Amino acid sequence: MNYNPPTPAERVLNRYRWIRWIVSLLVILAALYYLVFVNQYVVAYKSDLDHYKYGSIGSEPVNGLPILVFKALPVMFRAELGPTGYRRFGMLYETEQSELPVGMSRRIVSGIERVWLNCAVCHTGTYRLEPTDRPTIVYGAPSNNLRLFDLIKFFTKVGSDPRFSADNLIDAIDGPEVHGHLNFVDRLIYRYIVFPRVQAGFQHLAQQVSFINRQADWGPGRVDTFNPYKAIQFNFPMDAGHITDTELNGSSDFPSIWQQRPRDGMHLHWDGNNTSVDERNLSAALGAGVTPVTVDIAAVHRIRRWIWTLPAPPFPAAVDRAKAWRGGQLFAEYCAACHGMKNEAGQYVYDTNRYPRLGQVEDLDRIGTDRGRWASYTQDFSAAQNMLYAGYPWRFSHFSKTAGYANQPLDGIWARSPYLHNGAVPTLRDLLEPSACTAANPCRPAQWYRGMDILDTAKVGYRTDGYGYDPKALFLYDTTVPGNSNRGHEGPAYGTGLPAADKDAIVEYMKTL
Amino acid sequence: MLQATDAPLSDAQAMDKAFLHEDNAALIFSPLKFRHLEIKNRLFRSNLSGMFDEYNGYGGHTRLNWEEKFAKGGVGCIISSYTPVAVRGRILVRYAMIDNDDKIPFWAEVGKRVHAHNCHFIMQLSHSGRQQDMGGVENLFKKAQSSTSQTDFFHGILANAMTASEIHEVVEQFAQGARRAREAGLDGVELHGANGYLITQFLSSGINDRTDDYGGPVENRARFVLEIVRAIRREVGPDFHLQMKINGVDHNDWLYPWMKKGNTLEDTLTICKMLLDDGKGVDAFHISSGSTFPHPRNPPGDISTQALTRWYGGMLASGVRTRFNYAIFKSPIGGRLFQWLWRFRRGKVIEGINAEYAKYLRSAITQIDPSIKFLCTGGFQHASNIAGVIRDGSCDGVTMARPLIANNDLPQILRTANGPIKQKECTYCNKCLINDLANPLGCYEVSRYDGETFDEKWENLIKSVMSVYDPPLFRRNTPEETEGGRSS
Repeated sequence: MNYNPPTPAERVLNRYRWIRWIVSLLVILAALYYLVFVNQYVVAYKSDLDHYKYGSIGSEPVNGLPILVFKALPVMFRAELGPTGYRRFGMLYETEQSELPVGMSRRIVSGIERVWLNCAVCHTGTYRLEPTDRPTIVYGAPSNNLRLFDLIKFFTKVGSDPRFSADNLIDAIDGPEVHGHLNFVDRLIYRYIVFPRVQAGFQHLAQQVSFINRQADWGPGRVDTFNPYKAIQFNFPMDAGHITDTELNGSSDFPSIWQQRPRDGMHLHWDGNNTSVDERNLSAALGAGVTPVTVDIAAVHRIRRWIWTLPAPPFPAAVDRAKAWRGGQLFAEYCAACHGMKNEAGQYVYDTNRYPRLGQVEDLDRIGTDRGRWASYTQDFSAAQNMLYAGYPWRFSHFSKTAGYANQPLDGIWARSPYLHNGAVPTLRDLLEPSACTAANPCRPAQWYRGMDILDTAKVGYRTDGYGYDPKALFLYDTTVPGNSNRGHEGPAYGTGLPAADKDAIVEYMKTL
Repeated sequence: MLQATDAPLSDAQAMDKAFLHEDNAALIFSPLKFRHLEIKNRLFRSNLSGMFDEYNGYGGHTRLNWEEKFAKGGVGCIISSYTPVAVRGRILVRYAMIDNDDKIPFWAEVGKRVHAHNCHFIMQLSHSGRQQDMGGVENLFKKAQSSTSQTDFFHGILANAMTASEIHEVVEQFAQGARRAREAGLDGVELHGANGYLITQFLSSGINDRTDDYGGPVENRARFVLEIVRAIRREVGPDFHLQMKINGVDHNDWLYPWMKKGNTLEDTLTICKMLLDDGKGVDAFHISSGSTFPHPRNPPGDISTQALTRWYGGMLASGVRTRFNYAIFKSPIGGRLFQWLWRFRRGKVIEGINAEYAKYLRSAITQIDPSIKFLCTGGFQHASNIAGVIRDGSCDGVTMARPLIANNDLPQILRTANGPIKQKECTYCNKCLINDLANPLGCYEVSRYDGETFDEKWENLIKSVMSVYDPPLFRRNTPEETEGGRSS
């Protein structure tokens, strides 16, 4: 018998006390759940450039990899990647000690630090004047080194590779190269939560982008912008019955992203399918792995502000001023109506009143360049894009299918090699030659090595001869492969019929843009 | 000019209510005739409770002193303190009860002391129900009896809805209480059916959530008290004075606006009609308001959160919301908000706060049975106001509590003046009410006491409060008494 029972009021108060404890506990658990699993943490950078290089734009929550997994993969798959790891895919590390390559951001999601891509991965190039030079990094330039196709293929293979197991992953993370120092709880988390989810993610990615096995290798510095977009964002059927070879092989060069303010309102993207820089930016972010739900609008807007007035880089070698003056005259006659040019004060003029075709779409038959990029952008896809961000002020509304390719301003053109939208012509000088060879005239190269970053300062473009490179590290660009045609943008109106000296002069002038 | 209560007012008089004090005094001190009881004037001491008695409910000498003070002071009739008919129905400990025949001698002595001053004495038969502030050790492990199992919303006192057999048992306890009152030679009984106690818990539509014969429509809710009235009549016969204290309006939502409002004036009128019971029921009604105690309208006035902070602590073990209340009272912000709410829900009128309710009910009931009388409570302490409510037909007499604590001789004052001088008036501070949780009942408003300094005033306050213990139960005889004793 209990000789000291509680009174009815005490019983109720005890119950209340339990309820208060339980409610308090639930509140604490909810707060912990929010802080650990819901709230996301990113590294904030003071410098806009650092933010551009490593700041998160929201690609990690859905598509990101735990940083320890990202660092362990090159260890686990050294046979495929070699000793340089992700450098094999053209990813750039600022220093040997850099933990992550440029264009790889981090965000803590659900208590795990994840990494994935940001804008800089596709818009950071390098050049060297001599093979012995250290590469000079040019932010905002096309990523001439990046082999995105190979990177994606690597990830899709990992998911089904028997070497990718929980044991191997944990061993690699705890190994001397990653120094993960997993404790008992970490190991349980990695074994039973992280590994299965990463493996499933890779396998899902492989399923989504299985069409790339039918594609020609994009090669370094190129990307198929829209087909992965169709598959991942919209689940478009991507089998041969729905996607023709022409539509499937529309890889194109990464563009530069400097000086965006004067471009707003112009037809953007290679085929001019959008006239809004903001929409173009958000759409490009989706390509980097951001989803409409996870996008970090503030971070994207910060990059937008930075590239709004980011100057194009100056040509890094000497220019023959007299020759360039002569070239300028010819450029004004042949090129400026469509591309604009600098004024007497040395400022690029983007004025579409002065240059009426600047930023406008050139009819496909008239320009004559490869149709693949144009074909890969379909009306169905355009309609789907315009449903993105429905309900938000930044909902897409400017996407439309055009009839050709857009005329771009050529500021900093020297750093945007190779040329044409699909990067089919290695140098500016080559671009002033016709695609078809005759006995009398030189022509654009039909096969050439891509993947070098040594600048040919005479012809303006990256060298293609493999000088100083391991041939296995180069990519043989074949213009006969679907999507790789180097035809178009040729004929008397395009200057390909000019004397060689005039062509040289035009190239000299273009160094100054 | 004497204005009889049942004589119509002239238009001019009704307009300005300008009566000479002599007229008011003549009206106030004119006899009031109930069916079976005649009171010498229209002044009743309302039920006033102090913890003056033995813990087990036996009356003590302090109670005798207490009641005698008011009889000496000149009221025509005293309504006893809250008198539980059973130990389960007590509100505070050390209140004299009427739960057993062995209590009769004490109450007989009370009646004798009071009658000696030509004052009548009516016992208020009471049962707390769930409004049990400090039930004492006898009730420590029991939930309070009530019409509902819902916890009291103010203090959080736990309750169990009474079964039919429990209801019959309590009805009988009321009946036996009335029988004992009669056997003690008292002049009548009053059922405490107001202010949130057990009978109110059955009557109020805001509290009664029963689905049996004792809940639902007002006729069912009144069944419990009607059974009590009939049981009392069975025990005491038709000629023993029986009156009912009842709320004009419940205002059950005063603290939490989402609570039901409770009974309206129309509901109360229906209940009053039922309690007439074709002439075999009650003889008078005593009109109050508010379905809890305390309530902003009863006792109307202020609330001292400072006093609550000091003395509410004794109730902490009683309910499941007392700690919350205590925290509110102690909080500088919570306390002020509570005080503001109290004043807001009370309204501006204090003296005569229930007069309008009484007027409405009296007008309707006296058309049915002119012999039924009405008393009205609510802060009365001025002759003009007392005479005014009698003259305008609101009631036939007024009951007073706090003004009599402040001035035990208020009736004598009212004979010659409109009321106490300003400094001696009851300030309606309600400190007496709150102090009763821990201290002897008395007036704790320091400003009313004589003295130049606080210490002097406080000393006089203590003297006044402690005067109820005089004469003490045991005392050393004076030499004369000792001598007299020897000689006898």
